[in-house]
Amino acid sequence: MTLLRFEQVEKTFGRRRILDAVSIDLEAGGCQLLCGENGAGKSTLLRILAGMERPDDAAIAIGSLRLGWRAAKKQLLARCIYLHQQPYMFEGSVRYNLNYPLRGSRADRSIRIQEALSWSGLSAIADQDVHQLSGGERQRLALARAWLRQPKIMLLDEPTANMDLHCRQRTVELLRVLKAEGVCLVVASHDPLHFADVADRTLDLVEGKLLERSSAYADLPEKVTPIDRFARILG
Amino acid sequence: MGTIGESTRQAFALLFGGDAGLWEIIGISFKVSLSAIAIAAPVALLIAFLLAYGRFPGRRVLIAVFNTLLSFPAVVVGLTFYIVLSRQGPLGDLHLLFTQSAMVIGQIALALPILVAMGHAALQGTDRRAWETARTLGAGRMRAAFTLMREARFGLLGALLAGFGRIIAEVGASMMLGGNILHYTRNIPTAIALETSKGEFAQGIALGLVLLIMAFILNGLLQVVQGKGRPVG
Repeated sequence: MTLLRFEQVEKTFGRRRILDAVSIDLEAGGCQLLCGENGAGKSTLLRILAGMERPDDAAIAIGSLRLGWRAAKKQLLARCIYLHQQPYMFEGSVRYNLNYPLRGSRADRSIRIQEALSWSGLSAIADQDVHQLSGGERQRLALARAWLRQPKIMLLDEPTANMDLHCRQRTVELLRVLKAEGVCLVVASHDPLHFADVADRTLDLVEGKLLERSSAYADLPEKVTPIDRFARILG
Repeated sequence: MGTIGESTRQAFALLFGGDAGLWEIIGISFKVSLSAIAIAAPVALLIAFLLAYGRFPGRRVLIAVFNTLLSFPAVVVGLTFYIVLSRQGPLGDLHLLFTQSAMVIGQIALALPILVAMGHAALQGTDRRAWETARTLGAGRMRAAFTLMREARFGLLGALLAGFGRIIAEVGASMMLGGNILHYTRNIPTAIALETSKGEFAQGIALGLVLLIMAFILNGLLQVVQGKGRPVG
């Protein structure tokens, strides 16, 4: 089922055309991997899909409805969650951050927070200040916080950047669970190999154009960095 | 030298002996200045937020105007509102001149630029991702704005303390708009000015000590509050 369709998306910054007639369909339970060099426009495309950045031009359909930008923005903000490359944590504890997207009674919120803590494996640090979290823990907290919102579409900007192998695997595992729950994922990444077994299709953003890649990354060996090797030795 | 020593001894006696007249003046000062801050703060926060996060024509000019008003002398503010509130002025019919309300108006005008300029700086310093994260997590514009203010709370509290510090010690606007009327509009700075002109230093020194102690407490609070504002990545 197509949740969202963007056609002929155009975006220019100054004289530079970042997105040139880009079209993309987002399906429930699908996972699309968005690849491209630094500055190729991956983040810009994700932010447009999330309703955070206005395109210069685009035809937007949500379900069967065709909408102008103003109406679409409201719908996009309600349906999509955008996760920054370095997720922003509100000052306070892990629990405070998990409480943020929740509505309803205190008791209901408390139950949902407990669910999110065990879903993300963060139960042991529920009352810890966010300043004390590692990069991997912050990413998992961001995913759990987003999960509590029960989004239909999740747009992730480099969710495993600067992570060691172990953290990366845990994050990918959470993405797999989200996908199984029917959440549509769009993941921007430099390195498609990390998401080879989650992604249904890989799209390359090259000079403003979005191109589908056909090669099967699952057959390729995973790139192992020296940090990964060191992490494996340490167990 | 003997006079200074004797006056200081009398000042301490007045201050800690529970002199009713002295404490009445202190009470009027705090009542007027706290009222001014309470009225100015919400307006200033709104303006500061719009200047930090809004995109509209004339925004930069407005920022420059508020920064310029920071150095506006209190006596000129007093003169301006004196003309506006005097019998022949546009708001003369309200009969506000030489009342505590007039003093509050003058102090609001003095506090507003400080609150706006410092509030704008504090909000400008917050991470743009805070707004975007709040919005993507389902917060409406109003809730996202409050979230940002919470993130910038140490800077905003610093602005409130600095604003309060300025208006409670100013003499120009209070003297011109309040008229220094005993039991009604006489506050700490106007009382110091009057007592000094009469050669009665004891009460002036006592009130000066109150201002000094308060300035010390405010600065201490400012240090503590601003030291707590750690950036979150």
